[in-house]
Amino acid sequence: MKIQKFNPITWLAALASLICASALSAQVTNLTEDESFFYEDVSPANDVFDPLEAINRYTFQFNDFVYLKVFDPLVAGYTAITPDPVERGASNFFQNLRYPVRLAGNLLQGRLKGAWVETGRFAINSTVGLAGILRPADTMEAFAPIKPEDVGQALASWGIGEGPYLVLPLLGPSNLRDLGGLVGDRAVNPLKEPYSVISHWNWEWQLALTGTELIARSPSMMEQYKSFKGTAIDPYSSMRNGYTQFRRGAVEE
Amino acid sequence: MLHNFYKVMLCAWLVGGSSASAEQLQADKLLATINASLDVIYAEGTSGVSDQEKQSQVRQKVEANYDLDVIIRRAIGRNWQLMDDGERTQVLELVKQLVLKAYVNGLKGKTRPEVTLGKLVVITDKRMEIESTVVLDGKTYYVLYRLGRVSSGWQIYDIVAENVSVVSNYREQLDDHFRRGNAAELIARLQEILEKEDIDEDTKI
Repeated sequence: MKIQKFNPITWLAALASLICASALSAQVTNLTEDESFFYEDVSPANDVFDPLEAINRYTFQFNDFVYLKVFDPLVAGYTAITPDPVERGASNFFQNLRYPVRLAGNLLQGRLKGAWVETGRFAINSTVGLAGILRPADTMEAFAPIKPEDVGQALASWGIGEGPYLVLPLLGPSNLRDLGGLVGDRAVNPLKEPYSVISHWNWEWQLALTGTELIARSPSMMEQYKSFKGTAIDPYSSMRNGYTQFRRGAVEE
Repeated sequence: MLHNFYKVMLCAWLVGGSSASAEQLQADKLLATINASLDVIYAEGTSGVSDQEKQSQVRQKVEANYDLDVIIRRAIGRNWQLMDDGERTQVLELVKQLVLKAYVNGLKGKTRPEVTLGKLVVITDKRMEIESTVVLDGKTYYVLYRLGRVSSGWQIYDIVAENVSVVSNYREQLDDHFRRGNAAELIARLQEILEKEDIDEDTKI
């Protein structure tokens, strides 16, 4: 049997490691209970897979410019000239039209109760609520609003991972799975290609409808965007974390 | 024998009962703090009061019941060790001002939100969560308050609004910041945000 020769360098290195390890351990154990609590890891959303960060940051900056310099003045003009009830009615109308997306989201996850509630809400709001402008279903206990489901959530419930974090031009934060979900959402949305029921309309009318939908749905989105940005130390990180937490929460529910 | 059993049951009931009421006390304190803060903003005759004055009054109401340092320290996490004493004090103060500014500005022009506390979940003897719903301008939001018992008593250590944890969000921003920058740059950034009137002042491609 070969006996290993004593090596003073190895021995010194081992001793140094031991001293460092014990010093580190002493430092850790010296933490008060409060400090240990403050240093705890807080959420797995803090390690989002973001290999395209450089491109995403640039797209984020582009979107930020478009939202605040182009879109915000349009939305401000719209809210200034539109009485609040009209604004709410327009937002409700387009929200109601997205029923097929919410229905598909529920059905693809096997949420039959959710599908039933969404269908009941659509039926009531489309008739009694004058084509969705009003929301009488809100006052009915059986058809009270539920959290909206979409195809991206269905993909998550099938076990498909998030994939890399993405910032889409104009559309904002997403990830590869939600991008797939977005394509699915469009496919079941009657106002969007490829199965649009308004595809025979002139392009001007289609554009006008899409633009109106965007503007009608935007006041609350712009308000939330500005409030988030106004308090963010690093708006890009804040958006990435907020989006990921929000989507993970929606999937878990 | 039976007598002893009744004594044990009585003790258990008393201990359990007092613990349950201690938890309820925390829920009552939370709701009272939220309402006191909203009173500052929505009380009659406050239309002439400046935003800064409102922020200062809200701060007094909150700090009467809670130590804001706890939630901020949770958000800072281990980055605390990357700052000296002076920087720590400054960061704590600036973040408090930022939170208060966001709170007061966020409610500007809106009707008073209706806050209702929901289920109180005791996780351990040092952690509890209180669910709540906030109805603001006809929309309902779900907000979860996380409370922890630290050396200064029961404190709010996180607020989760619609599944988004405020602490997790700021922790990520601060982790990202300290990977590239230092405490002095953080202080400069916080001061910049606080001084800004319009958020699109520096927006460019």
